[in-house]
Amino acid sequence: MVRSPRSESNRPANRPTNRRSVGGPLRLPWRDLLDVLALGTWSAMLFRYWIGGKLLLLLHPDYAWLSNSAAIILALLAAYRLLGIVQTSRRSQRTATGRNLSAENHITLLPRNFSSAVLLSVAVFGLIYTPQAFASQTATQRGITDTLTLTRAQPQRFARAAAPEERTVIDWIRLVNVYPEPDAYEDEAVAVEGFVFYPESWPAGYLMVSRFVLTCCAADAYPVGLPLKLDTNEAEPYPVDSWLAVTGTMVTDTLDGRRQVAIAPTEIRTIEEPKNPYEY
Amino acid sequence: MVHLNTGFTLFLSLLVEAVPFLLIGVAFSSLLLFFVNEQQLVSVLPKNAFLGALVGSLMGVLFPVCECGNVPVARRLIVQGAPTAVSIGFLLAAPTINPVVFWATWVAFRGQPEVVFLRVICTLLIATSIGWVFSYQPDIGPFLQENVARSRFRDRPKRNLTGGSSNQPSLLQGGTFLQVAGGETLQLDTPAAQRLVANPVQAQSPVSKLQLVVDNMVRELRELGAVLVFGSAIAATVQVAVPRETILGLGQGMASSILAMMALATVVSICSTVDSFFALSFASTFTTGSLLAFLIFGPMIDLKNIGLLLTVFTGRAVFYLFALASLMSFALALAVNLYLG
Repeated sequence: MVRSPRSESNRPANRPTNRRSVGGPLRLPWRDLLDVLALGTWSAMLFRYWIGGKLLLLLHPDYAWLSNSAAIILALLAAYRLLGIVQTSRRSQRTATGRNLSAENHITLLPRNFSSAVLLSVAVFGLIYTPQAFASQTATQRGITDTLTLTRAQPQRFARAAAPEERTVIDWIRLVNVYPEPDAYEDEAVAVEGFVFYPESWPAGYLMVSRFVLTCCAADAYPVGLPLKLDTNEAEPYPVDSWLAVTGTMVTDTLDGRRQVAIAPTEIRTIEEPKNPYEY
Repeated sequence: MVHLNTGFTLFLSLLVEAVPFLLIGVAFSSLLLFFVNEQQLVSVLPKNAFLGALVGSLMGVLFPVCECGNVPVARRLIVQGAPTAVSIGFLLAAPTINPVVFWATWVAFRGQPEVVFLRVICTLLIATSIGWVFSYQPDIGPFLQENVARSRFRDRPKRNLTGGSSNQPSLLQGGTFLQVAGGETLQLDTPAAQRLVANPVQAQSPVSKLQLVVDNMVRELRELGAVLVFGSAIAATVQVAVPRETILGLGQGMASSILAMMALATVVSICSTVDSFFALSFASTFTTGSLLAFLIFGPMIDLKNIGLLLTVFTGRAVFYLFALASLMSFALALAVNLYLG
């Protein structure tokens, strides 16, 4: 290939005649090592979420494989780069030619070291920090609803999901969304799990059994919930954000000036936060 | 504290979802950069302005690059004499009209498939129209930065001389040569601009190509990853720190939501391979049209991209591109809000 001599002279490291003058055996290629470190830490962070099971707090399980493959590929990239650094420091600067050449094709916005440092620190943070499942505070921020608005995933087919007592919170919501008349569900058995949420507009004696629903990742998690009619009129008998397993039957009730379904419980159990707190 | 936890979880979730797509994106762009020969591509492009713009807009399928990779490719196309319409169409549409971005958008907006298709259709519409408009300027020269324009003219006579064949031995070409080892020749008087013309890495052996692919991947990952980190941080902060009433007030307005999202797209400069996840975090509070505006306008013009564009085009041309793209994006998004939303 044809190269102009001027571009050649810009790369003294490239002169094949004078290899020894380059750097010296003890000078480490810090920039490349920083890259390897950043790639490796990212991979480690993704592996941590994968193996620790926390990935479910961040992603829809359908896409877990993407993140898992990314963990593997990043690890391979880091290893390959490390190998390259070792080889380069041992022998010629063969790769330097290519690097400089393709650098001409590439215009960067951020300084190289700065980008690497940002990536590295984020990955270190991800390694230390354990993601938390969303709770009632986020539900308020995101506007909890018992009817899915138009911006939400529409049911692709209308099927009465299994037996009533097998329906999850989102199954119920989708069902009611398609056929909203609450009387239609009167006396059907209910068995759902969810966290406790007290909507401001509801009177004492009610709580919402809520779940977050994911279509892609935590960024689009949206809360849904079913009203639960309690026997007491005590304010907040169950702590906010605690998890409940509720069995009972559906009744019709009027909340927020609107007739809607509500659960009349026969049993309320406090449970641990499930490993996978979201529904899909 | 809850706020902080939500913010961090949101931030990590965006990153973890986006990084695989970023990896796929940079892998494709690195591979194709080294294995697709633009010189051959340019010779089969249609001459008709409208068709050229359309073909240019669709060429992203061959070059799945996001906006940081497509400017260098567009520059090579321009320098190699691709028609204006093709180059501009490619420049605007390639970051969106490509399989990786389509897949990522599909993953993010599975619940609202109309967003995915409208994104493609609107981008195609805008890029083709702007490419068509620009083709009325028969010579793109005045729009180009001086060094790019010069490299075009230096390139022209050579192309005529060699009859378009780039395989001609360099000894049959005029100039001053040095004989180097292995029977190779080194042309001493190659115009500096020729380095812009030829994709310089295509002449390398497969092994060193692979090495370059990896190098390029790491470099793009570093650069785009850092921008992605900032984008995710902004998205997460807006989600948890700005009161819901404020966001809803802005996000539910027919026009205000579109303007807000376009401003956000310009500032955030997030890579088109992963911008759908960013947009997704606003899906519950912003109108469909505004999300669409973000998804079509962001890949065409943003702060990062303007910097890149200015390395190829003059300020005036970039301003025209910006003005046309923003007005058309706004109009289309508003139409979606009014008639489809």
